[in-house]
Amino acid sequence: MIIGKKQVETIAVVFLSMVVAVVFQQIYTSLAEQGISTGGPYDNAAAYPRGVAILMAFLLAIQVCVFCFADGSKKPAKLAKFSDLILPFSLLLIFAVYLGLLGHLGYHLTTPPMIISIMLLCGMRNLLAIVGSSVGISLTLAFLFERFLNVVLPGGIYRLNIPW
Amino acid sequence: MPIDSFLYGFELFLNPLSIGLTLLGIIIGLLVGALPGLGPLMGIILLLPAAISLPPIPAMGFLIAIFVGGSCGGSISAILLRIPGTPLAAATLFDGYPMAQKGRASDAIGIAISASALGGLFGGIVLILAAPTLAKFASNFSPPEFTALAITGLIAIIVISEGSILKGMISGCFGLLIATIGTDEFSTGFRFTFGSHHMLNGFHIVAVVVGLFAVSEMAYQVMSRDLLKVPKIKIVRPGFNSVLLTIRHPLNLLRSSSIGAFFGALPGAGGVISSFTSYAVAKSLSKSEEAYGDGAEGGIVATEGANNATVGGTLVPTLALGIPGDASSAMLLGALLILGFLPGPTLFEGQPHIVSGIFISYLASNVMLLIAGILATPLFVYVLRIPKSYLLPIVLLLCSIGTFALQASVFDLFVMFSFGLVGIVFRSAGYPLAPIVIGIILGPLLENNLRRSLLISQDGFWIFWQRPVSATLLCLDLLLIVGAILFWYRKNRKTNSI
Repeated sequence: MIIGKKQVETIAVVFLSMVVAVVFQQIYTSLAEQGISTGGPYDNAAAYPRGVAILMAFLLAIQVCVFCFADGSKKPAKLAKFSDLILPFSLLLIFAVYLGLLGHLGYHLTTPPMIISIMLLCGMRNLLAIVGSSVGISLTLAFLFERFLNVVLPGGIYRLNIPW
Repeated sequence: MPIDSFLYGFELFLNPLSIGLTLLGIIIGLLVGALPGLGPLMGIILLLPAAISLPPIPAMGFLIAIFVGGSCGGSISAILLRIPGTPLAAATLFDGYPMAQKGRASDAIGIAISASALGGLFGGIVLILAAPTLAKFASNFSPPEFTALAITGLIAIIVISEGSILKGMISGCFGLLIATIGTDEFSTGFRFTFGSHHMLNGFHIVAVVVGLFAVSEMAYQVMSRDLLKVPKIKIVRPGFNSVLLTIRHPLNLLRSSSIGAFFGALPGAGGVISSFTSYAVAKSLSKSEEAYGDGAEGGIVATEGANNATVGGTLVPTLALGIPGDASSAMLLGALLILGFLPGPTLFEGQPHIVSGIFISYLASNVMLLIAGILATPLFVYVLRIPKSYLLPIVLLLCSIGTFALQASVFDLFVMFSFGLVGIVFRSAGYPLAPIVIGIILGPLLENNLRRSLLISQDGFWIFWQRPVSATLLCLDLLLIVGAILFWYRKNRKTNSI
């Protein structure tokens, strides 16, 4: 399966159209309920986002027309094979799982497994190098941020924090 | 600018923390510049969370030094690997790589660093002379002028930025809408918060930018086939004699630095345009024996002198008007705002010592670039040997810790990730990301001044045409849009006829 420019463009247009739709939905519900969707420049907090959303909808309509009619005679450009997307998709999945668990399990329990997973994903197979560097990177960055910038990294439910 | 403010700025900079962080910033900048796929913008984004927890002058010195170092670092990989670390160094490889192939890699890198530092210092002089003058001119501006200025800044970046103008405008609008999320300053009502207390102040700009640029870039990088590749390159050690090699081209250096500073001061133009333009000018004015394209020293001087002078130029509208010249200076502007300073004429009037401190930091960055760049080149060459399989997790980890460090909020991490997905979709579909950032930065300035203008106006929107400066700026905007549409139309007709 091949991912083409057309599919990606469609996703982008649908997403941006949804943004415009949400702006109007909020103006007619939440902002109207608060009484800030009408009136003069001081009270009307909806006029500006409404104006920007209308402009964006207009530009999106032109973009759809340009996309549908301008390139009609040409063969649609291919961006990537579906199989090429396995690596970035896996990377994002690992990263999403990491971010999801970070608050619950804490930095020190989640970070080395995340680094190990990404290194394995990238094709590294030397386990000693992978484990050593993952622990090293994780501890070095924790030390730099906690010791020098006074950042308290998430300790999670076990409250794991190193008193440097 | 009063001399006592300038001296006070010197005093603010002359402390171990500021000097140390500027030096560190230069080294980090050179590293991120040298590594293909990263660059100065990514360096600033990744280190911004760390910088905003510092006092203002050390923080700005650190970030500016990353900008300065990053603008030069790309030349190292361009010369040694024929892969420009950043698009800024793309023109450097025309002569840098052939020079390295002839066994003069050390000279080529030394010239690149020297020309960058000297060009940067020229940009600094332009900054010190032009920014206060521009700020003084803008000190009489009122809301209609600031509204028109914000629109001009946004349109200039959209028109000149990479890719389709239409898509650039859509990206800009998206950025403007993102900036409206949170509590409205006038009515104190909540907009697009969906009842979540996390969104009362909108999304943190750093979380948004880290997601848009860094997370999406890593997803693209993992698709490359060279994740485990270790480039075979010899360690090179340039010497300070390369400064002499550089100043053997005084006219070229001066001309290229002037071109760089000029393009830098134009919002949207940036270093890529300036380095290619100055290379083309230098080549057209060169003598035949110089052999441009075959390892001419003048070629490296032209491109590197120009792209670092651009940094000084780009800081002129950023500091004097609060209008960023490109995405990197938008992040510097964002940092200033987070640190509690409002760039523009009020900063020059109210806190001239901060402005001076920034000027001194910029000049010092270029001096340190010359010294640290030449001495530490072997380190950067060594870093080029690190495979991407190590860099990917480090960058992603920096993204997460940096974003979490902003407000100790897990919500920011999800914002970052979500904008990472948005960044991937936008990049894949050819929507430029820089206008989103500019839209987020200029959005509040635009909305607040637009509403203030309408409050003081007797004739609604006619107020913008009744005032000479805002009317001129709006006419300029119309010309820019019409010109861009005509350019796009001609380009499309030409492509279709082939």
